[in-house]
Amino acid sequence: MTSSFSLYAPRDSGYHRLHPLTKLAISGAILIGGLGLGGTWPAFAVFVLIVVPLALWSRALRSLLRAIWPIALPFAISLFLIRGFIWPGGTPILTLGPVSLKAEGIEFALAAVGRIVAMVSAFLLLSLTTPPDALMLALTERGFPPMIAYIVLTTIQIVPRFQARAATILDAQRSRGLETEGSLPRRLRALLPLVVPLILSSIVDIEERAIALEARAFSRVGVKTSLLTLNDTSIQRVARWLILAVPLILIALRFALEIAA
Amino acid sequence: MISVRDLTYAYPLTPTAALWNVTFDVPAGQFCALVGANQSGKSTLCYALSGFIPHFYHGTLSGEVSVAGLDVPATPLAQLAGTVGLVFQNPFNQITGARMTVRGEAAFGLENMGVPRSEMLVRADETLALVGLSGLADRSPMQLSGGQQQRLALASMIVMRPQVLILDEPTSQLDPIGTKEVFAALARLVASGGATVILVEHKLEWVAEFADRVIALAGGQLVADGPPREVLNAPEVVASGVGQTRYARAAALARARGLVQPDAALPVTLNQASEFFAPRSLDEYIP
Repeated sequence: MTSSFSLYAPRDSGYHRLHPLTKLAISGAILIGGLGLGGTWPAFAVFVLIVVPLALWSRALRSLLRAIWPIALPFAISLFLIRGFIWPGGTPILTLGPVSLKAEGIEFALAAVGRIVAMVSAFLLLSLTTPPDALMLALTERGFPPMIAYIVLTTIQIVPRFQARAATILDAQRSRGLETEGSLPRRLRALLPLVVPLILSSIVDIEERAIALEARAFSRVGVKTSLLTLNDTSIQRVARWLILAVPLILIALRFALEIAA
Repeated sequence: MISVRDLTYAYPLTPTAALWNVTFDVPAGQFCALVGANQSGKSTLCYALSGFIPHFYHGTLSGEVSVAGLDVPATPLAQLAGTVGLVFQNPFNQITGARMTVRGEAAFGLENMGVPRSEMLVRADETLALVGLSGLADRSPMQLSGGQQQRLALASMIVMRPQVLILDEPTSQLDPIGTKEVFAALARLVASGGATVILVEHKLEWVAEFADRVIALAGGQLVADGPPREVLNAPEVVASGVGQTRYARAAALARARGLVQPDAALPVTLNQASEFFAPRSLDEYIP
């Protein structure tokens, strides 16, 4: 059982030491650039020219690539098959009996895969290098509601416990003779004795959790302090806006060029 | 420090009261244990002292509850939080998960109270040392064992320096080692001259060892109040389902078999037991 649902792994790198909002801005820029630049290749260019070097800098490239494959590959396969073969009209490259592979379909699939890779890698780059509590602190310092920050952080830490409890309930009900394998109707019937105890025990938990929070003055109004501190620099404060502006300027240039042409 | 007058309380939608005309006072610095069978009102009393009754559970309350000069039913929970600390059974549910390290979890209450960071750091580390968790300060609180989590829950309350600390069966979900660890932490707190403590506990040997005074509840009413040796051996308390310490049971057996003086008071701690069983003179062994 892992102790946390977060992907964050502490590593000694300059990228890790950046302010969480700077890393958030970089991931935002990757997302905007990857999705907004259009065409087939810009998203791949963003991945190769920006994500890979940053991941190298943060020493997280291996983890990043390992996490991308399971998400991107199923999408890629289904996109190439469906879009490649089922494309109205278009230029056939390869004909296999009644169906043929279309160039336009392949291009469309390639563009879509590029966007998925850019999107997923933007998220991974942030979560692999930023502790969730630091990100939440950076956001609450700028007016993000503490209640939501609490929900995010608690969820990240409690989900593994929730999974462990689900496994305990599954074992308990099986030991009482509940059949959880076999035909679909049988599996569906087995769901109720598993879900009900899980939900009921969680409701009891919520009451106790609320008491524990109140006992720590969570609902107190007034100035709150933080044990965790974040290092911010004036360079980073300016850089964040510039980083976000770059993809927007590029997108604007692209549209301007298209209109001019 | 604590003053309870004619406290009667019923949970919402229940016809019978969980507490009936409970009256007692606890002076500052006293270590007071609450004993009683299940459903005798111990947890309800804990919630009433810490303000969760009536602020969280609602229901109908009459009588007066005052803790550290605060009129509990009239004081908002957020204001009671720093004054009254509450530790309860389930170790896991007391870890808020709002912070990713043991030190952060311990300091969470201080963050909410707006304590400056430098002071917070000192107090958090001091308290973690008190409960014996210093070596784990940078670990994830979710990685701790039940006993360690319960000590962290205790630390999270102690760090706020409450004037009254309420412990509602803090060791009921722990194994003997976890129980020992929690009580060792509690012993260090008491030795450091910390708070006034109210402890609900079924493990009577521990109660006898620690408490200055024991209050027994049965059916929501106060049935006995006094020194541990007196209350824990009182027939009406034993009969109410609380049971007796193993020392008292062994001693009662010895007394019934005529091995000791018939009028000797039953012991409740190891020290009392060794005194109880020690031969005063050789004559006791010669019929």
